Amino acid sequence: MVEGALWRRWVFFYIPLTLFVFVLLFPFYWMLITTFRPDGELYQPWNSPRYQPFWTANPTLEHIKYLFEETLFSKWLWNTMFIAAISTMISLFCGVLGGYALSRLNFPFAGSLGTGIFITYLVPQTLLFIPLAEIIRNFKLGDSPWALILTYPTFLIPFCTWLMMGYFKAVPRELEECARIDGASRLQAMLYIIIPVAIPGILSAGIFAFTLSWNEFIYALVFLSSSEQKTVPVGVTSELIRGDVFFWGPLMAGALLGSIPVAMVYSFFVEHYVSGLTGSVKG
Amino acid sequence: MVTATMPATGRQKTRTRIRVLEDERWLALTLLTPTAVLLGLFIAYPFIEGVYLSLSASRVGVPGEFVGLKNFEKIWNDGIFRTAVWNTFWYTGITTVFKLFLGLWLALLLNRHFKGKAYIRAAILLPFIIPTVLSTFAWKWMFDPTFSVINWALFKLGFISARINWLGDPDLAMTSIIIVNIWRGIPFFAISLLAGLQTISPELQEAAAIDGAKPWQRFWHVTWPLLLPVTMVVVLFSVIQTFADFQLVYVMTGGGPANATHLFATYAYQIGIGTGLLSEGAAISLAMFPFLLLIVIVQLLYIRRVEVR
Amino acid sequence: MSRISRRKFMQATGGGAAAAKAGGLAAILASGRAPAYAQTSTVHWLKWNDFVPASDQLLRKELLPAAEKALGLKINLETINANDLQPRVTAAIQSGAGADLIMALNNWVYLYSDSLVELTDLAEEQGKKEGGMHKYARTMCSVGDKFFSMPWAVIGAMIAYRKSWFEEAGASKFPETWEAYREVGKKLKAKGRPIGQTLGHTFGDAPGFAYPYLWSWGGKEVEADGKTVVINSRETVESVKFMTAFWKDAHDEGGLAWDDSNNNRAFLSQTISATLNGASIYIESLRKPDQYQTEKGQPMNKDILHSPLPKGPAGQYGFHLMQSHMLMKYSKNQSAAKQFLKWIHTTENYEKWFLSQKGYATPCTADWEKHKVWDEDPAMGPYKVAARLAQAIGHAGPPTAKAAEAWTKYIIVDMYAKAVQGMPAEEAVKWAEGELKKIYA
Repeated sequence: MVEGALWRRWVFFYIPLTLFVFVLLFPFYWMLITTFRPDGELYQPWNSPRYQPFWTANPTLEHIKYLFEETLFSKWLWNTMFIAAISTMISLFCGVLGGYALSRLNFPFAGSLGTGIFITYLVPQTLLFIPLAEIIRNFKLGDSPWALILTYPTFLIPFCTWLMMGYFKAVPRELEECARIDGASRLQAMLYIIIPVAIPGILSAGIFAFTLSWNEFIYALVFLSSSEQKTVPVGVTSELIRGDVFFWGPLMAGALLGSIPVAMVYSFFVEHYVSGLTGSVKG
Repeated sequence: MVTATMPATGRQKTRTRIRVLEDERWLALTLLTPTAVLLGLFIAYPFIEGVYLSLSASRVGVPGEFVGLKNFEKIWNDGIFRTAVWNTFWYTGITTVFKLFLGLWLALLLNRHFKGKAYIRAAILLPFIIPTVLSTFAWKWMFDPTFSVINWALFKLGFISARINWLGDPDLAMTSIIIVNIWRGIPFFAISLLAGLQTISPELQEAAAIDGAKPWQRFWHVTWPLLLPVTMVVVLFSVIQTFADFQLVYVMTGGGPANATHLFATYAYQIGIGTGLLSEGAAISLAMFPFLLLIVIVQLLYIRRVEVR
Repeated sequence: MSRISRRKFMQATGGGAAAAKAGGLAAILASGRAPAYAQTSTVHWLKWNDFVPASDQLLRKELLPAAEKALGLKINLETINANDLQPRVTAAIQSGAGADLIMALNNWVYLYSDSLVELTDLAEEQGKKEGGMHKYARTMCSVGDKFFSMPWAVIGAMIAYRKSWFEEAGASKFPETWEAYREVGKKLKAKGRPIGQTLGHTFGDAPGFAYPYLWSWGGKEVEADGKTVVINSRETVESVKFMTAFWKDAHDEGGLAWDDSNNNRAFLSQTISATLNGASIYIESLRKPDQYQTEKGQPMNKDILHSPLPKGPAGQYGFHLMQSHMLMKYSKNQSAAKQFLKWIHTTENYEKWFLSQKGYATPCTADWEKHKVWDEDPAMGPYKVAARLAQAIGHAGPPTAKAAEAWTKYIIVDMYAKAVQGMPAEEAVKWAEGELKKIYA
């Protein structure tokens, strides 16, 4: 809590925080209201007297119904979760081990290996997806979730590795040395001392890796073809934008419902890692 | 060969393996194997293929002969390409500065104890979680010249008397995509930096406070140096992602009006996919590489220096 | 039409690959013709998702099952957003795997012809049977004199306008020339009812306006040889100058970056009086007459009429979205796919689809112009000539890959957009000339 007078608390804490929350969340409120707004109210120009941006008098569930009954939205949601979860786990596994090795161990070419892994992250996806399509075909992965589960790590691993390197470096060396003096092997020290301390880092790398796969568009568009395999971003844009007609209600409902479940899962993790940490450092 | 997953129970066989893993070099090799396999399998070939594409004269379905740097020469003389280069730098620079500043501010706010902390922390992640394509559609709707809620709000508050043509004016279109990018990026900075702040022992702060340091001094001399490694990594990743941004601009403006908002990636896409000039598209994508590499090297050197200090 | 939910439907018929596998045995048992059915090939058909949802429904519910029964094959229809078709085509060709039939827009045949199966016999037969293939479809779908895609339909772009508003501004029928259009537009804009037109980077409405507008003034990108750039002509400069003034006088200036959907919304919300568009505005207003009403409380659809773009000094032109189907060379089901194309293009089957479009799509052969659909609704009448009056990009040359490059770089559109934003006409034209020369070099 901010120390000092009440006005200081307001000026330095409550007001800025409220502004942040308002700006960051306003688009979501906008999606929410569009989701429930009947189509008749949607097309009101901003300078019309009947423009009601923040409220609707006749909320409707039609758009949500459309989303679930006329499209395979729930299936897309499941696909996206599944793909994102598995590819995140793979990438975290590789990233934590790699990040530990690169930041904590002395071995020849450590620096250039780290840079090498990093460089793969620089390769633009817009360039990669065409040759990658060839690989997907050769491995017979087309139109299967594995096409994405195995390709997403190409941009997730460098990211996780480097993020973990940052976190591992912040952990004091003494911790590990103490454990080693007590007779732990290197591996044990890593598994039982360093990794637990780095849990917040791992969680946040995980959160971001998950988000990146959740977000991905172009690979999902190109490598999947049947409707029931698609992910949320691809499914929603390919079913709810028809030429020059946007189905705004269902589109916004899809955007909202496609992000809120994840936010709830995150809220659990965020709290978990934030509270768990201080103790482990002190201990 | 040793395996990467190692049960730490003390069985006889595993003992010898563990001994091998006491050697830092072997351990490092083992730990890096899964990464090497996946990246080697899925990125090495496409990358080489991409480089070859950029040096040949291929179109979709028509492999072309080797032409050296001709494609690069062509794009170098392309006015739209130059605009795209400039746009990319401008876009990356501005958004990164804002994201860092606002993200750090938010992280410091969230590092305090207050009621409903958990909910707020989860809620502010939303802009980052939502698939870019979909949130950009929502923004597009908010910027729509006919239906803009932003115009409505500014008008009601008395800031404007006529509408602002958000996506229609070249400069405003650029501003619009910058706003959306910052909006999307703040949570990433805030949460990463928050996690970084959490690793800093509160005792250091307390000690400094006892010594009579003001909050600002405590931040500058205690918190900030410890936060710097994480900050640099976060900035690095953000810069790369922003530099190679595609979805946001593609959905929002498609590079228009009059090519005013093209970035490397969107222009490469337009040429490579839209026109079928694969080689030229690959060349534009790859032209991003030296720029990125330069930025990254500078940042990496800086990180090293910070760490040595 | 009874509303079967899409999801239930897919589950029931196995609209996708996974469902097909799972339901294989049950399907065989149900159909009662096990051995032959078990060896059917599956044709994967990738097309855009239609502006008219009912048409996709019709394909899924009625036409494709009928085709499957008649031809003894499985058809797997995938519909995606039109913007996303090209990455799919590119990746499919480069990796040699993907859908068997893919919808092509405009002149894509020129970009991909090396990877396509020639369909001349199919197309020529179609033309012969139905009174001749329109020149536009021929130019767009063939390279040299070989067809590489099967013309499907032309999505006409016409000016949708508000009859009563134009009457109030003194135009009892739609102005025939650009000059007259500008005069009416001036009055309309003064009343807060401007003309809406996009000059943004959209695949439909912006080039659909800019190209025919250029031609109607006598400007052209290249000579008939398809090489010599002649954009920098007196005619082009005239057209740009007129456009700049026309824009200020009569247009909604927000249109610079509209996408293909903005003008629909603006029109339906009564902020603009006229706009170049497909029939989607009208169709939307028909679908929800209670929702879209005029300021007098009448259903708006009664107040919407369509017109081709006005005439210029050099004539009257249109540019419309060409849709055709490409049969991919890598496909392992070429004969099945060809059979299916033939089947769906029989007059009887195609008519069902055509009717579901309610005039939105204009077929590519001459006989369809006489179809009674065009007389049923005066608002839709103008669309019947879309395929006949259209001209291809890259005029006066063929719509080659170069023309497509100029198109995807939005050079003609941007030439006008730049001028409208204040660049002197001569300079804007010079810029376009430079860009075109680079492309045609």
